[in-house]
Amino acid sequence: MHDAGGNASAVHATVWGLVQASQTAGLPDRFEQDTFEILKRISRRPIEPKLDSELLADLGFDSLQVLELVGELEDHFKIAVPLNDMTHIRTVAQVVAEVRSLVTAEERPA
Amino acid sequence: MNGPGTITDALIAAASTDRGIRAIEHDGRSLLLSYNTLLSESLRVAGALHARGLVPGDRVALVVPEVSEFIRAFFGITAAGLVPVPLCPPAQAGDLPTFARQSRHILVASRASAVVTSEDVAPLLDVSGIDGLAVLTIESLRGGPAIAVPTRVPLNAPALLQFTSGSTAAPKGVVLTHANLHANARAIAGPRGLDARPTDIGVSWLPLYHDMGLIGMLLSAVYTCVDTIVMSPVLFLKRPTAWLEAISTYRGTVSFAPNFAYELCLRRVKPSQIDALDLSSWRLAGCGAEPIRPDTLRAFAERFARAGFRASSFVASYGLAEHSLAVAFGRDGIHEDAVDAQQLVHHSIAVPSANGSTRVVRLVGCGHALPGHELKIVDDEGRTLPERHLGSILARGPSVMQGYFEDPVATAVALRDGWLHTGDLGYLADGQLFVCGRTKDLIIRQGRKYHPPDLESAIADLPGVRSSGVVVFGISRIDEPDEVVAVLEARASIASDGVVEQARRRVRETAGLELDRVVVTPPGTIPRTTSGKVRRAETRDRYLAGTLER
Repeated sequence: MHDAGGNASAVHATVWGLVQASQTAGLPDRFEQDTFEILKRISRRPIEPKLDSELLADLGFDSLQVLELVGELEDHFKIAVPLNDMTHIRTVAQVVAEVRSLVTAEERPA
Repeated sequence: MNGPGTITDALIAAASTDRGIRAIEHDGRSLLLSYNTLLSESLRVAGALHARGLVPGDRVALVVPEVSEFIRAFFGITAAGLVPVPLCPPAQAGDLPTFARQSRHILVASRASAVVTSEDVAPLLDVSGIDGLAVLTIESLRGGPAIAVPTRVPLNAPALLQFTSGSTAAPKGVVLTHANLHANARAIAGPRGLDARPTDIGVSWLPLYHDMGLIGMLLSAVYTCVDTIVMSPVLFLKRPTAWLEAISTYRGTVSFAPNFAYELCLRRVKPSQIDALDLSSWRLAGCGAEPIRPDTLRAFAERFARAGFRASSFVASYGLAEHSLAVAFGRDGIHEDAVDAQQLVHHSIAVPSANGSTRVVRLVGCGHALPGHELKIVDDEGRTLPERHLGSILARGPSVMQGYFEDPVATAVALRDGWLHTGDLGYLADGQLFVCGRTKDLIIRQGRKYHPPDLESAIADLPGVRSSGVVVFGISRIDEPDEVVAVLEARASIASDGVVEQARRRVRETAGLELDRVVVTPPGTIPRTTSGKVRRAETRDRYLAGTLER
């Protein structure tokens, strides 16, 4: 019993490790989940987006819908997507990565 | 408006007022640029261009996504006596390879001496091996040194080289002089146009690399010395409400947009957002640049009535880059002409439909010829047709272009005996112009004429098919009737079952025409212009080459 504190921190470390693993090993985090929700809402037909889905080829988005997506993401995550970044985004994974990096940059103290 | 003058003369006149341009960028940042400030900034950009060895008459391409920077660069190029060649920026070109290809084509075809761009966009251009082309950033030009006075150029000197994003395959450069632009701006502002008033406030999200945004909104505002709000098209496409909010906030009186913009507002502006709008100042809500659908405009007027919008504000307009911009305006709301579809398709006559008549086509009137300009409708032999007879639309007057840049063959086809052959089909009724489609794409079968846009609209709303991704074209064959092909772009990898049969049935029912082939292609395979219109001729070429589904 004397090492209870040690165990607790081990448990904590394990849980924390799981949380981190989920972010790197494919379990959806909030960026991913919310982005998927927004993608489904904007699509005019039922879709099941995956990280490697291409917006145009796989999800059937047109260029107007891509800009609509950017607008929705900006409002939802309170971010501003730079013009040049928009021209590089093709896949859902790139969308999620863009959102994650912009939100992280926003939250980092100046 | 003052007497005839160059673009810079117009800016100098505007600079003596306290008015100006509010630029709203893609991220909502807003900047007020008085005409006075704009003039002095233009003189600095002009001086910097001269310092880099550019001489009057040189063509300078312009690809700048930021609204305020585009405006500075445009008027700087003009004040230096150079000829701007506006290009579509990467965010609107679709993808980077498309952007690089399209901009390279225009840089080569225009034989531009320089391209003015931004630090962000410069690395995305493909300028390898283009001789004598200087890549300059607007950031580096803004510092000057300023020239004391703008470089004077004659009125008949080229003022703008506008590459069309028309439905034909390769964009062509439309050469417009200062006199052309002044004549068109004057007609736009005049009594048969917008009847401009000093208190007018323009609001536009239209791209500045396109004639409707550049000439119709920006230059018209400068020529008439009125305040204007110029918003990034990216902001509008991200949040269509931003357009209406700008009209509401700044008490906009004049704002133009294509039909799809009104559709986008219907789909994406939420009821709670409508409640916050006051659109009662909007006296002229222009619609043009693509087929006008009365249903869209009616629905818009109904939905936004509670924000103070009036259906009588609608102005249906017709124009093309080869005519500087505007040809005719249908004022005071939408004037619909309901005509018998059979008579129109089979006999090229627009007969008002009798009550209970079988099938009806509804067309929107675009008003009368502008003062000092003429319109006529001719048949295939060039004979002038009487009213209500469908034929080719010809225009004549001071707004007509000088020709296509270094393309005498295309120029000779478009300009004959002083008349501009617009390539569009229409008829006149009580002198009012009704536009029906483009002659170039006409499908002729058994002596009957079919207009692809009519056939396309019949099959635009099939399940699983992208409504903006439907192309119908004819292929001429010897000793056999034209082959008629429909290409449907699926929304996702797979379109709904039975879509091919549905398309055939629809076209059979509406036009009495049998499609020879219906092709369903994956998303993103139909070539489009930078403004999102399908390229019919190029789709046909790719179909014939067997590369459509690649």
